[in-house]
Amino acid sequence: MQIPQDLIETAALKLKSVQSEAEFFQLRSQYLGKKSFVLSSFAQLKSLDANSKVAAAKELNILKGKLNKLFEAAIKEIQAKTDVSLLDVTLPADPYLVGAEHPIAEISQRVINYFLPLNYQVFSGNEIETDFFNFEALNFPENHPARQMHDTFYLNAGSKSEYLLRTHTSNSQIHAMLREPLPLYMLSPGRVYRCDSDTTHLPMFTQIEGLVVDEDINFGDLKGIIINFLEYFFNEKMEVRFRPSYFPFTEPSAEVDIKFGNNGWLEVLGCGMVHPNVLKGCNIDTQKYRGFAFGMGIERLAMLYYGVEDIRDFYSSNLDFLNQF
Amino acid sequence: MKVQYSFLKNFLSTDLSQAKLADVFTKVGFECECEGSIIDFDITPNRGDVLSLRGLQREFQAQQSKVFKDTLHYKTLTFKKDKTIINKIDKSGCGNYQLMLVQGLTSVRALDSKKRNFLSAAGVSLIHPLVDLGNYVMLEMGTPMHVFDSDHLELPLNILFPISKTPFQAIGGDTKIVEPSSLTIQDQKGIQAIAGIIGGHETSVSKSTKSIAVEAAFFNPDKIANQARKYGLATDASHRFERGVDPELQQRALARFLCLLKEIAQYDSIGCYEGSSAKLKPRAISLSVERFNNFSGLLLSPKKIKLSLETLGFTSMPTKTAHLKFQVPSHRFDMELEEDLYEEILRCYGYDNIPINPPKSGPVARATDYSASEKFKGGLVFGGFQELMHMPFVSTETFNALNSNDWSPAELSNPINENEPLMRGSLFGSLFSAINLNVKKGYSAMKFFEHGNVFHKVKNDFAQESHISGLIYFHESQKTWSDKSLQYDFYSLKAEVLRLLETLRVKSIKLAPNASSTTFTINAMDIFAGKKKIGMLGEINPTATQKLIKNPAFGFEIYPEKISTKPSTLKLKPVSKFPSSSRDLNILITQSYSYAEIETVLLNNKIQFLHSLGLVNTFEGKGIPNGSISMTLRFMFQSPVKSLKESEINTSMDKAFHLLNKAFKAKIRS
Repeated sequence: MQIPQDLIETAALKLKSVQSEAEFFQLRSQYLGKKSFVLSSFAQLKSLDANSKVAAAKELNILKGKLNKLFEAAIKEIQAKTDVSLLDVTLPADPYLVGAEHPIAEISQRVINYFLPLNYQVFSGNEIETDFFNFEALNFPENHPARQMHDTFYLNAGSKSEYLLRTHTSNSQIHAMLREPLPLYMLSPGRVYRCDSDTTHLPMFTQIEGLVVDEDINFGDLKGIIINFLEYFFNEKMEVRFRPSYFPFTEPSAEVDIKFGNNGWLEVLGCGMVHPNVLKGCNIDTQKYRGFAFGMGIERLAMLYYGVEDIRDFYSSNLDFLNQF
Repeated sequence: MKVQYSFLKNFLSTDLSQAKLADVFTKVGFECECEGSIIDFDITPNRGDVLSLRGLQREFQAQQSKVFKDTLHYKTLTFKKDKTIINKIDKSGCGNYQLMLVQGLTSVRALDSKKRNFLSAAGVSLIHPLVDLGNYVMLEMGTPMHVFDSDHLELPLNILFPISKTPFQAIGGDTKIVEPSSLTIQDQKGIQAIAGIIGGHETSVSKSTKSIAVEAAFFNPDKIANQARKYGLATDASHRFERGVDPELQQRALARFLCLLKEIAQYDSIGCYEGSSAKLKPRAISLSVERFNNFSGLLLSPKKIKLSLETLGFTSMPTKTAHLKFQVPSHRFDMELEEDLYEEILRCYGYDNIPINPPKSGPVARATDYSASEKFKGGLVFGGFQELMHMPFVSTETFNALNSNDWSPAELSNPINENEPLMRGSLFGSLFSAINLNVKKGYSAMKFFEHGNVFHKVKNDFAQESHISGLIYFHESQKTWSDKSLQYDFYSLKAEVLRLLETLRVKSIKLAPNASSTTFTINAMDIFAGKKKIGMLGEINPTATQKLIKNPAFGFEIYPEKISTKPSTLKLKPVSKFPSSSRDLNILITQSYSYAEIETVLLNNKIQFLHSLGLVNTFEGKGIPNGSISMTLRFMFQSPVKSLKESEINTSMDKAFHLLNKAFKAKIRS
């Protein structure tokens, strides 16, 4: 019995061009139907002698098996194609809303992320505060002109205690120093208030305060962490300048300027060595411990970082503005 | 303090450009801004001694390592004590009081144009040549002066605090009620000036003035501070006296005044009187070189330290200890401690020259509650919420619309906007405004949240609570291009909040209806973690929105400080290897029962092998009796130790129905 050598290859080739189940079954009938070569060849076996019959039957069975496998695989593929209707996958997705952090929260987190691996603890303090924690314990004597630098909001308390909206996050320093064991490495993010409003000032803004109280702390430690932080934050080597300034709770005090973009020197934060009066007021041995503190305005950093010109945009709730972040 | 660059340049005898001169002062702590031909100096409140040309000159010369040399010219004067001129002085308020009487003034003419331009650039109004001269000397030397028309004074003067509130007509004609806490200059008729703040109308100089009394004094900063504000005033004099004026400068300032007076007027005679010359005790501060070097990270020699401080006017004193000792110059009111000297040395050395150390880290940080709110907020962001931030000031109407009567507002005594005198008691007010604003801008679907504090008054104290509040609002029905409708309802909100809380692994979350909220309608629930209320969710009450939003909105508030994310010890249950089986039960039940009641009865009565319970659907309408509802409940059974038999499951299902029938008279729906 003569068996065509390319039967399988021809069948496979024809199957590739089959588009529907109908075409498939038509082709299957050609190769595995009653009148197909394989099945009609089985009918012719009886005319062969015993030895040839066995050999031919074996060969036909192998061929039939291969054809069956080929057609089974093909029908599965055709059915998989025809069961799924073709979509225009380029049509728009169902409507969805994209969430986002507020840019001020994002910048705050960026700052915090620098200090967390350095084991700074994060404390949030009171926004309504007493005069003691906001001023007195921070070495602002009563009636001192330094208090006039802070246009303070006061509250109607109906009591002798004077309550105010904190003018800086430095109040958290005092709470932490009175409560926490030393050494202390802390960060305090939060909102602060001053009675002021224009394109660069708001009655409420966000500050992050940092404080370290430890043995053997010196001014070089303060400079080191500030420069390192600024280079982390802006992700580039920075030109940084420290210039003398005045804060009642630090001595010496410094303002820190950077050169960023095409601008001249830009003030980014205030810092200094913790004033001995502040440490003493918190029962800290100033012969053993020293400290440094720094505070930065997050809106100021965000304005520089993103190139925002009007600080009020951050609090406008305008999605046209916020969606850009 | 604004100073004309050309004038300052001549005064300092320097060739530096305006920008370079500004830079020199900025680097030593006096931040400068150049505005045209003017340099604006930001003098910090501790450095009142620099509020003059002479003060700037002293700093400038120190930067060149030169000891200060006064370049001004003076008349020589002799001061005497005379009780008929200056009688009583309250020494707690006035350290010294000098008066120069000038009589027979003629040919009074204006200051030369350079001085007038200098005054104008400094923002000092030109009033009268004699007053202008006093102001000029103040800007030159730093000590304020007051010029009285002495023909209207009835000497002697007394420098005293008034016994009671006293009316006083100030220069310009305004009447001020002088408080007993304000030091005053009184003649025999009454108050003629509020010391260090403003002079009187009656004794002010005019075109007809022929005789003057020029005052130069040292008033105690503590007694002047905040006094001007009481009268709605802020004068150049009060600004300087509050910060401290050199108490050794007054007689010299009068000598300078007289020297310059000769340039603009003629006079017959002068007389100089001192009311008190109680000199302040010289102050001295010791300094340990070793401690300074540890503090700064520098290695400066005692010689270098001495040189730095001497150029700034400090005098090195002999000492028997290893420490250095310095006498503080009389103009430096900011010097008390050793660290104050450190700052001066470092200013001279240059902060930028101090070596930099690598960042130090603290001891192992302990977990704080900070992470709970951050994680919750992160979940909201991934759920499509936009975070917003707002000012916390609200109107009384907004506060009342969102807070129950038992919340007393925290009220500001000096609000920036008188229509918003209260601190917010809820975050929702601003979120409603944000929806309103963005609807107008064409946005139709919004999910917003805000994290911040809300405030209220508790007796004589105030409380602040951290809230995270969210709002979901669809202004128009949301449909896809294929007309598929996207719904958001109470149950979507419930899923959204529960998903977040359960993802945060908040333990024992329970919800309980709360129909008495101000912010929400009756369709609202309290959220509990165990017995602690950690928030609320529900349908927003349209009244609470004050017409800012028109369509139904859904919201929640979470109190993150009440959520504990502290890791607890886990008690793991063995995981069953055996298959689970589910059975549905279709019941008819009176509508008045809530699903929570049904759930409670089934879960609290130990139905054997019950693994979980769910609701497949509810149905009302055709075939269902009025007042009843059909519910299909799905029971999932599983045993940890064996495959369950059909009979065991049936027994449990019979118990379930029995419980429902007993508690609610539930019937099987055929």
